[in-house]
Parts: sequence; structure tokens; C-alpha cells
Amino acid sequence: MNTGASRAIAVITVLVAGVALACTDTLVEPKSTVTEANIFSDPNSYKAFIAKVYGGLALTGQQGPTNQPDILGLDEGFAEYVRVWWQLNQLPTDETIVAWGDPGLPEINTQQWVSSNVWVYAMWSRIYFQVAMANEFLRQTTDDKLTARGNVNDALHAQILQYRAEARFLRSLSYWHLIDMFGGGPLVTEADPVGGAPPSAAARDSLYRFVVSELNAILPALPAPGATSYGRATQWAAQMVLAHVYLNAAVYTGTPAYDKALAAAQAVISSGAYSLAPVYRNNFLADNNTSPEIIFAVPFDGTRTQTWGGTTFLVHAACGGAMINANYGVNGCWWGLRLKPQAYYRFNTAADHAAGDTRSAYFFTTGQDTAVNSISTFTEGIAAPKYSNLNSVGVAGSDQTFPDTDFPMFRLGDAYLIYAEAQLRGGGGTAAQALTYVNLLRGRAYGGTSGDITAPQLTLQFLLDERSRELLWEGHRRTDLIRYGQYSGGTYLWAWKGGTQAGVATGSNLDLYPIPLNELSANPKVKQNPGY
Amino acid sequence: MRRVPFIFVAFLAVLWVAPLGAQQATGTIRGRVSDATAKRPLAGATVTFGSRGALSQADGRYILTGVPSGTDSLRARMLGYAPAVRAITIAGGDTLTVDLALTAQAVGLSEMVVVGYGQQTAGNLTGAVTQLGAAEFNPGRIISPGALIQSKVAGVQVVDNNEPGGGLQIRIRGTTSVNASSEPLYVIDGVPVGSGSGGGISAGRDPLNFLNPNDIETITVLRDASAAAIYGANGSNGVVLITTRAGRRGGPQFEYSTSVSASSVTRLPTMLNAAQFRTAVTQYAPQYLGQLGSANTNWFDLVDRTGYGQDHNLSVSGAGDLSTWRLSFGYLNQDGVIQGSTAQRLSLGLNYSQRLFNDRLSVRTSLRGSRTLDQFTPTATGGVLGNAATMGPTQPVMDPTSPTGYYEWPGNSLTSGDNPVALLALDKSHGTTYRSIGNIQGDWQLPILNNALTAHLNLAYDVTQVASVTFNPSITHPEQKFGYLGELWHNDNQMTNTLLDTYLSYAAPTGVGPGSLDLTAGYSWSGSHAEYTSLYETHLSTDLLGDNGIPTSTTGNVTNSSPIQESRLISFFGRANYNINDRYLLALSLRRDGSSRFGANHSWGVFPAAAFAWRLSQESFLRNVHSLSDLKLRVSYGRTGNQAFPNYLQYAAYQFGNPQGQVLFGNQYVTTIRPGAKNPNLKWESTGSLDVGFDFGFNSQRISGTLDWYNRKTDDMLFLVPVDPSTNLSNFVWKNIGSMRNRGIEMSLGTQLMDGGRRGFSWSADFTVSHNTNTLLSINPADSVTQINVGGISGGVGTTAEVLTPGQPVNSFFLCRQAYQNGKPRQDYYYSVPGDTVVKDVNCVKNRQPMHDPAPRWILGHSSHFTYGDLDFGFTLRAYLGNYVYNNVASSSGDYRELSAGTSPYNLHASVLATGFTVAQYLSDYYLEKASFLRMDNVTVGYSFNYSGQPMRAYATVQNAFTITGYSGVDPTAGINGIDNNIYPRARTFTGGLSVRF
Repeated sequence: MNTGASRAIAVITVLVAGVALACTDTLVEPKSTVTEANIFSDPNSYKAFIAKVYGGLALTGQQGPTNQPDILGLDEGFAEYVRVWWQLNQLPTDETIVAWGDPGLPEINTQQWVSSNVWVYAMWSRIYFQVAMANEFLRQTTDDKLTARGNVNDALHAQILQYRAEARFLRSLSYWHLIDMFGGGPLVTEADPVGGAPPSAAARDSLYRFVVSELNAILPALPAPGATSYGRATQWAAQMVLAHVYLNAAVYTGTPAYDKALAAAQAVISSGAYSLAPVYRNNFLADNNTSPEIIFAVPFDGTRTQTWGGTTFLVHAACGGAMINANYGVNGCWWGLRLKPQAYYRFNTAADHAAGDTRSAYFFTTGQDTAVNSISTFTEGIAAPKYSNLNSVGVAGSDQTFPDTDFPMFRLGDAYLIYAEAQLRGGGGTAAQALTYVNLLRGRAYGGTSGDITAPQLTLQFLLDERSRELLWEGHRRTDLIRYGQYSGGTYLWAWKGGTQAGVATGSNLDLYPIPLNELSANPKVKQNPGY
Repeated sequence: MRRVPFIFVAFLAVLWVAPLGAQQATGTIRGRVSDATAKRPLAGATVTFGSRGALSQADGRYILTGVPSGTDSLRARMLGYAPAVRAITIAGGDTLTVDLALTAQAVGLSEMVVVGYGQQTAGNLTGAVTQLGAAEFNPGRIISPGALIQSKVAGVQVVDNNEPGGGLQIRIRGTTSVNASSEPLYVIDGVPVGSGSGGGISAGRDPLNFLNPNDIETITVLRDASAAAIYGANGSNGVVLITTRAGRRGGPQFEYSTSVSASSVTRLPTMLNAAQFRTAVTQYAPQYLGQLGSANTNWFDLVDRTGYGQDHNLSVSGAGDLSTWRLSFGYLNQDGVIQGSTAQRLSLGLNYSQRLFNDRLSVRTSLRGSRTLDQFTPTATGGVLGNAATMGPTQPVMDPTSPTGYYEWPGNSLTSGDNPVALLALDKSHGTTYRSIGNIQGDWQLPILNNALTAHLNLAYDVTQVASVTFNPSITHPEQKFGYLGELWHNDNQMTNTLLDTYLSYAAPTGVGPGSLDLTAGYSWSGSHAEYTSLYETHLSTDLLGDNGIPTSTTGNVTNSSPIQESRLISFFGRANYNINDRYLLALSLRRDGSSRFGANHSWGVFPAAAFAWRLSQESFLRNVHSLSDLKLRVSYGRTGNQAFPNYLQYAAYQFGNPQGQVLFGNQYVTTIRPGAKNPNLKWESTGSLDVGFDFGFNSQRISGTLDWYNRKTDDMLFLVPVDPSTNLSNFVWKNIGSMRNRGIEMSLGTQLMDGGRRGFSWSADFTVSHNTNTLLSINPADSVTQINVGGISGGVGTTAEVLTPGQPVNSFFLCRQAYQNGKPRQDYYYSVPGDTVVKDVNCVKNRQPMHDPAPRWILGHSSHFTYGDLDFGFTLRAYLGNYVYNNVASSSGDYRELSAGTSPYNLHASVLATGFTVAQYLSDYYLEKASFLRMDNVTVGYSFNYSGQPMRAYATVQNAFTITGYSGVDPTAGINGIDNNIYPRARTFTGGLSVRF
């Protein structure tokens, strides 16, 4: 053999082998995504992150309407915050029924859920997703970190301080939902490390104290309403959460706080920042962002904020039967949501709506039976297409699938009714003021004084019914019924309560949803709610 | 980790640059070992002269150096051959050339079988390895290489999706993973393809379609862990080694083969005809009677067709003393039996090998490139098949008043069938895949250590470029009713994989110690870089551009993305084979893999394997049993890994929102960012496999077979595990948590039942039997979560028909047991769990139970091949026993409520006539059917003759000649998950072909 060639080959081989063997680095970092190491090198990331914490209420993932979901293990469109929260607070009550047989839904309709129910798990996951996002935002925006990054100027720093208050608002809002629906749960803040061992569940009253102290603490840092705060936390939005939390304090802690509820509602009313929309229905249409009445809304948009939950669900699902989809600004009907008869009869509606309460003027009765003999038949139960993708002058929104309609989570009418109820329950204020507030809503509803009530008519039961008329299908009904002791048990029966058409008494454990099975396995320190 | 490569380099350096040994007064003997009758070179024969010994190379060459002068016997021996002995006298300084011819006794044993990083004689295999040559491949119209071995190898399930060239799924000894891939690793001429298990990327059909089946010489399946463990973290699902054809001695020789084929649909779903539909609407949805037309349209008849195909292959090959080469060209065009689906392939291949420096250096190169063009049947909203099922049969096809000219139900309703003929005519979907794989391998026999050491280097690339377009014009009905008003998808994906393998193999001199020792040790580096550029837009400003160009979106609804995916796998591997007189065989292997997909706490994994074989037939107590040509007991255990899961799972990436996922922030819309959960503990899934087997042969291997029992336990399976969402950034995190077991037996038997010689009647028959039981053992660390619902079906939203639950096979069906009354299923009534009494359970909410699963318990295969004179005849039969299929077409369209579920009536499945269901019963086991079957996969008749002195063969093949099954749906092999939801129907294909050599 040619020794020259042989040596050449030997040298080449050794070089190749040597170079190759030196390569033992298996680290390949992602290129087309960013990580926490560099995301905040871009100062815009702070706004993008706090927007995500808001977006957790409206969107299901990073891509609208679907993809890259926030919550795994569930149908993405199902697991949208407003949709799940709304369903869990409407479907088991006397107001609403849904025709569909999707997994877990029939049980929510009839107060027959178990701890494996996917909607219950969706709610739990959504609440804690909000908490986790808010906590991570707070972790990433401590003064130490901002200083260390060295790219935050004073103006941005001031904004970030407000963002931090907003993150705490959103965390409190979701913790309130947790208190209201689940009772207790782990109380996790930015002080807890990511991926650390989950803590045991905090009791309902300690969560209550946390939410109350947080909201009161951030009030000064939150802005007054204005063009730049639509859909964002304001002082008055925080007061509305407080008003609800206080109003239900007897349920949450055993100790009432009606005086504080009244004070919070009064603060919102007296701020002068809001006024009743002249037309009730305008609060629920595609241009409801222009309503002067809405205190806190979850914004949706046909082209920029697309989801299969939220108002996409509320508009489409309430449409069916002989209804014409174009009359609601959408391209189809999902044949789902109707009224249970008890809610319909509360309006005392004659065939001629004009004679009565115009808050039911949009009800659709053609081809719809009042009675719900079959849950799955859309034409049984009066249709109540409260939310619409047409605007106040009848023009459809920017997209026929995804409405522009925002979800009004808190509005002035609610504040009036909280004042009245807190006053009646001994929280201070004056009875005359309470009557005035109620009749402001009645006056708008009846287009005059024909529907006004007198002082003796203003009873607690009247207020419960009035809340159902004013706030129908706005996600308050379950909490209201529980506060009145009429939700579970047998004092008040409605169609399909407990699974029969006439309604049967149900267990008081249903006042709280069960802790989801997945949570129990992931965190053995959390104990199941009683009765499950 | 730095220590190991250092030692390794030092080892290599010492071995490779050691001074060439001082010359002594000795001689050299060289020559070739060949088969005396077949005249082909024999590799792996042991040639000894005195104390010197060597093994013959792939081309039969051997070289003995440093032979002391004198007279001694030159002996060549090889398993399956009678030994050859020749007395030789050699003087110092002489070089003698002695060729040796061996006479075959039991040829099967001496066949060279390709294994990971080398080859071995079949008789000395210690693992469960099956190699098929071209003569054993399935005939007929075969587009994807994997289909060549369907029904041919015990323990291997090949699931095709019926489309021409459609994606194949292969399961070797059952499903081994839930969330990582269960596909085997493919290795083509020593180059692992894809970037994990599986075959790489494509425009939508099988990624291995780039490889022309006509260029394949052998396919070898490594089934047990001892054979596959040399592939470490990619070996858990088994390994398929594909070797392409090389040039043959002589030449240049041309080969041309061609075939034409015609395919037709076998079975389609049975829907209501026009009269039945009208009757149903009259009774159950009279409000829609006014919408019904007077036509009698069978929509399926309008979307299927006879699919024609043609195939041309031309190759030229040759070989000289020092080089071999083969150049091949192929063209294939095959239409599917559903309109709009076509597969076309142009392929080019070159294999070239050259020996240099007195045979010390052998260089082989293989280059292949192809272009595949795939046309797809439109898939918009249920697709052509789904809409053919649900569109009203009373409605006409054409409507001159509609904007498209095709009839659609009145109104832009969200809920009704669309005209499938319109979709076929207007929507476009196609993809082009360019792929090239090439490698250069050098084997250098080092002039040290008595020539026993060979260094190998393999450099390879694998480049794929995919461009696909789907265009749904704005005027089509789905676009109008969903309000997208025209949709366009562009995908331009590229993947580049590079590979460097280098290893040393050392065949210790024979005569030292009681046996022979082979050692292999090496290093491998492979990297993958891929970019998935995509565009999606809606609201097209014009339809005029069609599937060319990108029109403006009137609403700006455009989504672009171009994620980069990169991965790297770095490995050290070694193997030792120890062979004592072909009687006791021991094989040990070890691989250490570092993967970019593993978390920081687990960057490297070790995958060992050991196998022992005892050839009882070599023992004295069996030597006298002359009819017994082989009896070997094999025992092996090995641990393999599975890293075929997505990249970057271990990183906490911030994800950006898309334009449709913005958030109104006061008075401006903001694109959001979201932090993700991280998992530094992520690692490979790990499978430990025990295999006990027998190889046996009688009458000089005229009857031969294997019998294997295996038990494979997969641990650390990746699952998305629910975590406490309060302290994590997600409610689910990937964890290595689950475990699963596959246990089974395999038997294969090959027989030469009659051997009539060249002109007489010959019959060979092969049988395979496989039995596998899959059991999921755990899916979650805590006991409270015992079920993960999977197997999404059509009907409702998020409805699933299958479950992952410990104690049951993976993807067991999860349904309610239907109650019957007077022979008819009773709507909403099921057997309770527990209790087994009939209860009312609307929507089957409370009484679901795991039952049956889609995997066959038994797979039986039989091939027979007959020759008589110039005629040949063969067939392949396949049977599955114990597999179940959920008939989703029947369940989703099987109730009268579907008539009024939309704003126009959907057509119904004919099962409604038997059930009378008025509400959907998706989760009733009425729709779960036993799908055992017997299928004639192919039948071939051939005739060989000479024309102008050149050999030719003409043949005719029928594929899928018949299927006998009790299953009522479209196909009892309805995908790996057994859900029959408007699947592409199976074709029966008639192929006629001719091959010529000149």
C-alpha cells in the first residue's frame, strides 16, 4: 500500500474522529421563540404580559379563536373564562337551560354534577391560570428586577406600577370567583415559587380577607375611568368586586358586611363616572363599549379578539328555532340556550311587550313553548337572545362568527340593586334612596313611571326577582339564589332542578362546586368539599 | 462527560497511527470466497491458514498477511456451507491468490443480514431480526416502501390509510407509546431518516414515498431490543433497515419494468337513498319537506372513480473488479379511487462503490432524489366523503341559479351538508415534496493488528423541501356560510438532517482463545434543522389567482408563522459479538445517547442490551439428527429509548399571540405574551424487552422458522399530567410518568413444500402468526386520575370514544353497553356499571366502561408462491382476529334528530332504519363492531420468457382481491385507532406489468 496515501488517510480519519468526538454538547435552545431570559429586553413586553392577564378572561389561548391553548385537557372553545363562569352561574339556576348533551353539560343543567365534571375543572383551571399569570407578572416586575434589567425609564416604571395594581385586581377578581364557587383553595401569591409544592387549601374566610385587603390596598393605585381604561381595572371596578364580596360576606364567612357592601356600591354610584344607558338593551349589543353604564367589561372583537367562548357563545347559543341568525348579526345559530319557565314568568309578560317590562322585549316566542318538556329541544323554553352582534342602530359587527359585543361584567344597574339590598338588609343608607335607585331601573324598563314600585313593595324577595329581571343571564343568578337560601334544598323548585321536570329538592352541598378530581390528584393537600 | 471522548480519542489515536508493523519474511494469501453454485461472493466466511485467520468481506475478498512460510491447509468455513480445504505451500515474500468456492448446505443460514452498524450471517443472529429480499416483497401497485412487507413479517403490523401513497403506520410488537411516536426508526443505507422515529416530513402522504420501492434490495426489521438497542434512544419502536440495490457483476445491464393499473372502490358507507330520505323527512322533520327536491342522487357515485396508474422504472448497472454502480430512474402516477386524489413520483438513484489501495479502502456512495406531487381530495368542513354521506339524496347536483353552478341547500345555514361535487370542482389542495438523501461511506482496513481492524466513516445528508397549497374559493358554500369568504393555506417546510457516524470494527484473529470475537465501537452525531413556514388567510379579495399567488385579504386576516425546529442527537456506541464454534453466541451492546430534547437534569441516557444464543443443532447429541439443519435458542434483554416527541418541551418559552388573539387594552389592541411551564426533568421513554426465541430448520432449511416470546415494558412514558395550576404556569405539564406492557408471541415458518427443479412444479409457502396483548399499566402518579379520554369522534363537541386507563389496552373503547328490546337497541337504555342491570342513562353519562380495542389480538399472514416451468403464481393472505372498529359514520348520522339538527336536513346512515333512534347515541356499543377479517392482499400470475434472447417477465396482480369480514362499515382496517369516520375507502387494484432485462 502507498504509505503516503495511507498516512494521509490516517491523519484525516483521526482529525475527523477527534473533532467529532469533541462534540458532546447536546444543548439546542429554541430559536424562534423567546424565553424568560430575554423577553423583557423589550420594554413592550410588560404591556404585552399584563394584556395577557386580561386576555385570560376573554381568550382561550395565544391564537384566536383556537390554538396554543392556555388550559389543556379540555375542548379549547369550551374552556373560555366568561363562558365557563357564565354557565356555572346560570345553567343550574331557574333562569337558563341548554339543549346540548356535550360531556358534563347536562349535569350542570340539572344540579347533578360530580367531581370529574369537565366544566368544573375548566373553571378551576381558568381561575388559577389567572392567578398564576398575575403572580408571574408580579414576580417579573419587582423593583429589583426592573432595576437589574436597566431598560425601564421613569415613565414606564410608573406604568408598570399601575400594571401591578391591575394584576392584583385581576387576581382578586378570580379569587372572588373561587370563594364564590369552590369555597376554599390554595392561596398562592407572587411569593410562592413557580413549580414549587402546592400549598394546602386556604379556608373560605381567609381567602375572603385576602381579597378584601388586596382590593382596598390597590384602590389608590388604580385609575379613574377614561378612554385608556376601557376593559381595564379602575377604582370603581375594584369597588364593584368589593361590593359583591361584602354583599355575600354572610355566605362566605358567616359574618355579614352589608354596611361595607352599601358603602362600596354608594362609592361607585356617587363617583358620577357612570350613568344608565337610556336604552337597556344597548348594554348587550355590538357597540356596548359606548354604553355609559358599564363599569367593567370583558372586551371581544370580531377580528382581533376571537374566541368560541364569550359573547360568541352567548349570541350563537341563544339563537335557534324560527329565529333568523342575521337578526342577531351572526351567520348561524347553535340552538342551545333558552329560559326556564320560572324566569320567563317573572317578567309578567303579556304578548304585547310594550305594555310591560321592556327588558323582555327581545324575547323570542314564535314557535317556542314556555314549558321545557325536553331539555334537548330548542323550541321548548322561551328564547332570550339578550346578547346580539347588531349594534344599537341595527348594523352587524365586524365579523359574522365572532361578535364585537363585549361582556358587561359589572354595570351601574347592578350597583343600584346592591345598594338597595344592602340597605334592606340593614347595611345603612336610606330606604328612600334605595327606592329611588330601584325605580330608576324600573323607569327605564317601563319607559316611564308605570312600573314604579312603592316603599312597601320593596322587599327582599322583590329585589331577588328584580335582580333576575334586570341582570338576567349576566352571570349573577347562582350567587343571588345562594344568598337568599333558595338555590339548593327544596324551598324553591324550578324546572329540571335535580333532574326532573317538576324539580326536586337537592343537597345543600351543591352550594359549592366540588374540587376537581385532577386537583385532588395533583395536590393531595387539598380536601374535597363536603358532600362530594 | 468530557472524559469519555478524551479516552476514546486517545484509544483511536493509538490504534490508528500506531507505526506500521515491521516487515518480516512472511507471505500473503488473498482471494475470494464464493458460492459454488450461485457464483456469488460470500461475506463473513472464516478463512484460516495455520494460526492466521480472516473473514471475507462483502465482496468475498479475504486477505491473510504475515503468513509464515511453509505448507498448511487453507480452510474456509461458513455457516450453511460445507467447509473447503486446500493444501497450500507458501514461501516468504510470496503473495498467492487462492479463490475458494463453498457448496451450500443450508443457504438460509449463511445469508448476510443487515444489522445496525454492520451485517451478520443469518445463522449467527442472536436477536429477533427478519430480512426480506425483493423476491418476497408484496407485488402490485406499491407506492410506499413500508407496504412491501405488509403481512410478511411476524410481529409487524402495517396500517395503510387507503389513499394512494397515504401515510403508513407501522407497529412492531404493539404500540409502545401514547404521546411520543410509536413509529419505528427507518435507516436507509445506514442513514437514519426523520429527526426521531418515523420517516421525516412530507406534503401529507407517507414521507418514505421519496424512495422508489423498485430500488430496494432488502428490508430488515429489528424487532427485539437486543438488535435495536444499538440505536439507543430511537430504538424502542423497532428499527426498519432499508438497503438499496447495488450494481451486479458484468454489464452494463439495463433493466426496464413497467406496469399499468386500475383501481376501484370496494365498500362505501350505506346512507339512505332518496325515497328513504323523503320518507324519513316526512315523518321526523316535516318542516323541511318543502326544501326537498325530486332528484335521486347517489353522492358517493359522483365522487368516486376508477383510478388508473402507471409506473416506469429504468435502471442500468454494472460492476468491474474494483467498482460497482447502479443508476435508476423511476416515474409513477397513480390516481386514487376518490376524485381529486393523485400521487406522482419522479425518482433518481445512484449507487456507486469503489475499492482503492489494494482493497484496503472501500468507498460507497448512495445518492437519491425525488419529487413527489400529491393531489388531495378537498377536506373543507367534513370533506368530500363526509358531505357525500350527509348531503340530501333528493337534491340535484347542479343549480344554474347558484353562483357556483352547483346546487346547495337554501340559505347560508351553518348546519347542513354541502355539495361534495362542488367542493371537488372548486377547492384545490396539493403538495410537492422534493427530497434527497445521500451518503458517502468509507471502510478502511487498517494495516495494523493483522488487518483485523477496520475504520468506518459515514457522512450523510437528508434534505426535504415541501410546498403545499390549499385554496377554498370564496364562492363555495362552506366559505359563505362560515363567513371566511375564501381561505388560502401555504406551507413551505424544509428539513435538513446531517449525520456523521464513525466507528471501528475489530475482528479478533481466530485461533486465539476458544472462539471468535467481533468488536465495534463508535460515535455518531446527527442534527436536524427544520423551518415550517406557513401562511393562512381568509376573506380573499379575489378568487382569480386560484391556488397560485397570494391575494390580499379584505380584512387583513392573515396569519404567518415560521417556527424553527432544531434537534441534535449525539451517541457513543459499542458492541461485542462472541462466537464459539457457531455453537454459543453472545452479543453485548451499549449505547449512550445525548439528545437536545432531554431536560437539563437528564442530558444523557444509557441503553444496554445482551443476548445469548445456543445452537443446539451443533451439539453432538443432535448432530446425528440429519434432518435437523438448525436449532437455536435465543435469549435477549435490552433497554431502548424513545425520544420521538416534540422539541423544546423542557423550555419555558414565552409565546406571542396572533392577530386574532389580541386584547383590547383601554383604547388600543395589544398582542399578548404568555409564559409557559418548564420541565427540566424531561427524558426519554424507556422500554425494557425480554425476548426468548427458537430458530429451527429442517432438511437443509427447506423448512425453517422462528418462534419468539417477548415481554416489553415501557416506563417513563410521557403524559401531560394534571398539576396544581396554582403553582405552575399551566394546568398540565409533560412528565415521564406512565408505563405500558406489550407481551406476545410470534411465529414464522417458511417452507419449500415442493421443489420440482427448474422446469417442474415448485411450491413455497410462508406463514406468520403474531399475538400481542397490550396493557396500559399506569398513566398518573396518583390513583385518583384513572382515565384519560381519547379517540375524538364526529358528533357533539369534544366527544370521545376511547380511553386510556390502567389495566386495559391502550385506546380501549369507552362506551355504554346497549340494552336491547325485541331485538332492537333501546334508545337511552344501557347496562349499568356496576350492577349490569338495564337503566336509563341519557347520553350514556354514567355507565361507560372500557371494552375491546382497535388492535388485533392475532395477525396471521400467509404467502404462497408456485412455479411451473415459465409460469409463476403467488398470493398473500392476511387475517386479523379480535380487532374492533367504531363505526362513526353510522353513529353520527344514525338518528332521526339529525334531520332537524340543522336548518336543512342531513342525510342519515341506513342503520337508523334498524335502530329507529330519534336521538344520537354516540356512546352506544351498538356502533362498536368486531372487525376480524380475512383478506387476500394480493394474487399474482406471472410468465417468464425470452424475447430476442433477453429474459422477460409479464405478470398480472390483483391487490385486495377480497375481504371476508363481519364488519359493516367501510374497512375493517380503519386506521390505527379503529374509528371509521368517512375514511378513504379501500381500493381493489388490478395491475399488469412487464419487466425486461437487456
